[in-house]
Amino acid sequence: MSADDCGSPGTGALSELVDLSIPAHSEAIGAVVDAICETLVSLEVPEQKRFEVALALQEALSNAVVHGCGNDPTKQVRCRVKSDPQGRIVITVTDPGPGFSPDLLPDPRRDENLHADHGRGVYLIRQLMDEVHFGPRGSEITMWKY
Amino acid sequence: MDINVRKRSQVQVIQLRGQLRMGPAVDSLRQTLEEALGTGDTRVVMNLSEVPMVDSTGIGLLVRFLALIKQKGGNLKLAQPSKFAVQTLRLVGVLNLFEVFDNDDAAVESFT
Repeated sequence: MSADDCGSPGTGALSELVDLSIPAHSEAIGAVVDAICETLVSLEVPEQKRFEVALALQEALSNAVVHGCGNDPTKQVRCRVKSDPQGRIVITVTDPGPGFSPDLLPDPRRDENLHADHGRGVYLIRQLMDEVHFGPRGSEITMWKY
Repeated sequence: MDINVRKRSQVQVIQLRGQLRMGPAVDSLRQTLEEALGTGDTRVVMNLSEVPMVDSTGIGLLVRFLALIKQKGGNLKLAQPSKFAVQTLRLVGVLNLFEVFDNDDAAVESFT
């Protein structure tokens, strides 16, 4: 799957809402999430859907900054947000890291993981979004909200 | 994020306002909780009524300090969590780890 076809079948034309790159620093994430939330408000996206998209985006950007870039602010994380005429939203986050195997992540809801201070980000993304695709190298995530 | 701490009946009541997410917000709250623990305060109420988002880093901080405080014989209780905070904590299966109250008064009184 390429970053441009966004991996979803049967969609209409996609309109680009955001395409930006940010330094891999935790303080840069909030501003991006807040800006995209404002865009979704202007598009009259319902509050529940905005919340779910915003939290999924927050988690995807956090993973990219921490794991993809090792918190190195000289590296860049790219974030693209598009929507289609049906109001569906697709977000792609790309980092320069080596990637990971999402299917090997432990289940954060298991008893032995409940008190862990990490390991919930990808689980949350999968729960909040309707479709989630990881790029072949695992350093790109594309997620759809219908 | 704004963090307001006050003490009521030997209980630290921490009022948060803003998004509890990776970066300055989580760093500030971690410092607040470490200071509380450092002074021996292990009775903590955290009011989440004005916290519309708690991300996985914020959740990690809450459950880590819940465990630390319980190890010292105390507790970290939640008051008035926002709708989306409740949804998120429930989604990852940690909501039931916390005692949750409708308001600060009820949470504080539960320690007595």
